[in-house]
Amino acid sequence: MSLTPSQWAALLPLLLPALGACLIPLMALDKDQASAKWIRGVMYGTALLAVVASFWYLTDLWRTGAQPSFFQLRMDRLAQFSGIFVVVAAALTILQSWDHFHQEGWVKGETLSLLLFSVTGMMLFTASTHFVTLFLGLELFSIPLYALVGTVRARPESAEGGMKYFLTGAVASSCFLMGGVLIYGLSGTLDLSAAAGVIKAQGLALDPLALTGAALLLLGFLFKVSAVPFHQWTPDAYEASPHPIAGFMSVATKGVAFIALLRIFPSSLAPLTAVGVKMQAVVAVLAVATLVLGNLTALVQSNVKRMLAYSSISHAGYLMLGFVAGTPAAHTGVLFYLVIYLAMNMGAFGLLTAFGLVGEKTTFEDLRGLGWKRPAMGFAAAVFMLSLAGIPPMGGFYGKYMIFRELVATGHVGMAILGVLASLVSAYYYLRFLVALFLQAPSAEAERLASDRPVVHAPLAGATVLVCAAIVLAGGFLQFALVDGFAKRALVEGLGLIR
Amino acid sequence: MTWLNLHPLTFLVFAPALLGFLLMALPHALGKLARMLGFLGALAIFVLSLSWLLGHAPDAGGLILAERASWFTLVGLPVDYALAVDGLNLWLVILTTFLVPLTMLGTWNSLKDRIGTFVAMFLLLETGMLGALVAQDLFVFYLFWEAMLIPMYFMIGVWGGDERRYAANKFFLYTLSGSLLWLVALLYLANKAGGFNPALMAQAASALPFSVQGWLFIAFAVAFAIKVPLFPLHTWLPDAHVQAPTAGSVILAGVLLKLGGYGFIRFAIPIFPQAAMHYAQPIALLSVIAIVYGALVAMVQRDIKKLVAYSSVSHMGFVMLGLASMTVIGTQGAMLQMLNHGISTGALFLLVGMLYDRAHTRMIADFGGVAVKMPIFTTFFLIVTLSSIGLPLTNGFVGEFWILNGTFVSGFPWGRLYACLATSGVLLGAVYMLWMFMRVFWGPENKDEDSGTHHLHTDLNAREIAVMLPLVVLIVWMGVHPKTFVAASEAPVTALLQGIKAPAPRPFVLKPAVHEAPAAHAPEAPAAHEVHR
Repeated sequence: MSLTPSQWAALLPLLLPALGACLIPLMALDKDQASAKWIRGVMYGTALLAVVASFWYLTDLWRTGAQPSFFQLRMDRLAQFSGIFVVVAAALTILQSWDHFHQEGWVKGETLSLLLFSVTGMMLFTASTHFVTLFLGLELFSIPLYALVGTVRARPESAEGGMKYFLTGAVASSCFLMGGVLIYGLSGTLDLSAAAGVIKAQGLALDPLALTGAALLLLGFLFKVSAVPFHQWTPDAYEASPHPIAGFMSVATKGVAFIALLRIFPSSLAPLTAVGVKMQAVVAVLAVATLVLGNLTALVQSNVKRMLAYSSISHAGYLMLGFVAGTPAAHTGVLFYLVIYLAMNMGAFGLLTAFGLVGEKTTFEDLRGLGWKRPAMGFAAAVFMLSLAGIPPMGGFYGKYMIFRELVATGHVGMAILGVLASLVSAYYYLRFLVALFLQAPSAEAERLASDRPVVHAPLAGATVLVCAAIVLAGGFLQFALVDGFAKRALVEGLGLIR
Repeated sequence: MTWLNLHPLTFLVFAPALLGFLLMALPHALGKLARMLGFLGALAIFVLSLSWLLGHAPDAGGLILAERASWFTLVGLPVDYALAVDGLNLWLVILTTFLVPLTMLGTWNSLKDRIGTFVAMFLLLETGMLGALVAQDLFVFYLFWEAMLIPMYFMIGVWGGDERRYAANKFFLYTLSGSLLWLVALLYLANKAGGFNPALMAQAASALPFSVQGWLFIAFAVAFAIKVPLFPLHTWLPDAHVQAPTAGSVILAGVLLKLGGYGFIRFAIPIFPQAAMHYAQPIALLSVIAIVYGALVAMVQRDIKKLVAYSSVSHMGFVMLGLASMTVIGTQGAMLQMLNHGISTGALFLLVGMLYDRAHTRMIADFGGVAVKMPIFTTFFLIVTLSSIGLPLTNGFVGEFWILNGTFVSGFPWGRLYACLATSGVLLGAVYMLWMFMRVFWGPENKDEDSGTHHLHTDLNAREIAVMLPLVVLIVWMGVHPKTFVAASEAPVTALLQGIKAPAPRPFVLKPAVHEAPAAHAPEAPAAHEVHR
């Protein structure tokens, strides 16, 4: 098996993070890791270099328009889109975690290594319809994340959250595996798109095994996007993880699961007419449940990270509505939504680092009055929260607009009404964030503590926050460029969905 | 300058926001400089809007200034970047650009903290309001309509009174609830029409079954009625008004509420003429309730600002009644009443703010005998009070008279009763305003150490007089020669209503509308062949 140079170029974006992930533990062996800042700097530099190089190769592929497809890999536009999505999230995470781990006093090279493995896994996951590759990708990005959640071992709840995430995640992975096995057993092929054809040709579309297999596969995806009722791990895992990791999980895990679903769902599940319709119905019901439960539970949270966790659950609901509508325009909307979601959620979690909220001190109380003390961060916070609530002219509005528009166009008016009502509810808890930042004076206790502590310096996290705010605003004013130049091309040229 | 010649409206709409963002970036210490820059900028916008809008004669289509460009499609429906000023929004635009610098001047020293950010929010709000007023594409309108909430939210929430957080959240969520449901209706119609152009939407709507039209109209109407606010959707208003800082109250009353009424005349009625006819009577009934109820509640208020807030409910009820009458004279009255209310209530809020800045209380019981201590202030307050009551020769009279006239001839089965009941609202208006005036300004001086009167040491200064004078001039001007302000909307309103009335049988009507010649203010354009836009 020899690869042509162009195939190498297509493979490099996956290999480079993995290479970085292998190199970093070697540096982390040094016992001075905790004391010598330059070692930490080199580790972070290596990790950043790996994702930046990966980004460079991906954008190069995107620019040339090449869509190499070899072995089980399809490095088409959709995979490139997903790759860019993941490495941007990873780069933001690396920058934020430099500040965050220094604030926590727990800087370890292993976290970077795990993060990079996860990046490779995510790209693999979205670049194939072959079941084994899919599963490999799924596990390669999940297992490092289980460990990352529990990474700050000094905090007992960190380990607890990691364990919870691991146990539930393992069940979901085995369900996914079982689903694939059933489909393979019926069709005799491991390629999911081919399997759909075989099953249909043999008239097995109504076979209970096909239905069970498809349902189990879907379950695997829904767990990763934290759709109700597979969401229970989300708040605990986010609360336990370091802020940047929580941001990365909320964005990248959800994002790649949706992108992979986008690859599998229309091409593999939908052609099995009966199964496709049933899966569509399941997604519709779960989307409703996700929206209702995610939003209502987010209302009563006092911890910002838990609020953001439930908010991320509810956003899974909006994205699932895109699948309910199921039109190419709605799928484009999903991809656009993911881009904005990347910026606004990485930004929101980045804010926690930029404000220097460590450990458990992430309640709304801890945020009071910070918006005025750090005006630039406060401005960015307003952008993120209004965008998450879907208020124009922020980018988040356009994602919802495209999805709701297609919902209405396909006759799901009731779901659209539910969706906007969910947005209304969500506006309340996003406003709470702004209320704490701007509308409340800092509590006396916080003032006293602040005068004892040195001023927070988080230049890297602050910079990522500003970059994210710029992306969200760009999504609001140059939405057409993002949609036509990026999201739509990924679908049109990658999947051939719209003609 | 060529860019400006091609995009005058874009400049008018976005220049305040640009300035606002610049001011936001200024350090806190330069708040006073920011205030001065903001004021000068807003003043320049006002002067420009006057010279550009009054300097251009309307073209054949009635447009004074217009811009249209294709904006984006986002994999589906085209959205046009379409802005225009025509007879319907001309004076509302000018009212907005006029009130913003005036309010800044009037509340110059009211705020001590974060002045720069406040001025920036004010300018962002101006962009939102102007954008919504000139938008000719419903998507663009929706964007501005929603975006407007953000600066207002912060204005109430950061610089407001003691209950400001509650009031700000209530304002935001209440308004958002209406507009989100409206968004669904908008998307539904846009999918049918293949775009957000109101003309296309009207066509598409007329092809829909009547029941669907009715639901869509209700969705539009509820979103606009919340903003107006029409009884029973008014409950956010007293909180927002009372808690907002003076400048916020003035703009809220002066412009934001108008956008609700404007939404009806610009979008809801032209797009769903049949449904609008069908629901005109229920709306008229709610308007009458709003007029009487608002007045009755205003009567028992102990806080002057709250009294003015409820009087807004009553006055905006008149606007809705005029629109619901579906007659030219009633609608023209509503157009004028919107301007009136912007001027009179804006002036009232400014005056209450001036009083509050001195006395730090707004309770009626804390005052008494203010006339002795502040004669100039009292004179202004009296003029504005009389205008708010609707004394002949002030602006309030003309608007209310036309609206009542329009309701009387509307041909509703209960139209005359509505007109009579609404007239009682005028009466009640006199009661609550004059009673309040009597208790605050006349009578023996309140000598109590803690009283508000005791803290009044200075009468209005030159700056405050400079703020009030133009308002008083306008009050008289609009009362004596209203034609200046309604001539522009005559043609579009006539065209709109004739287009509705000609073909459609009116569901609720027992006998055809008696089309009396609308007072002597202008001859009615009887072009029967004219189709609505």
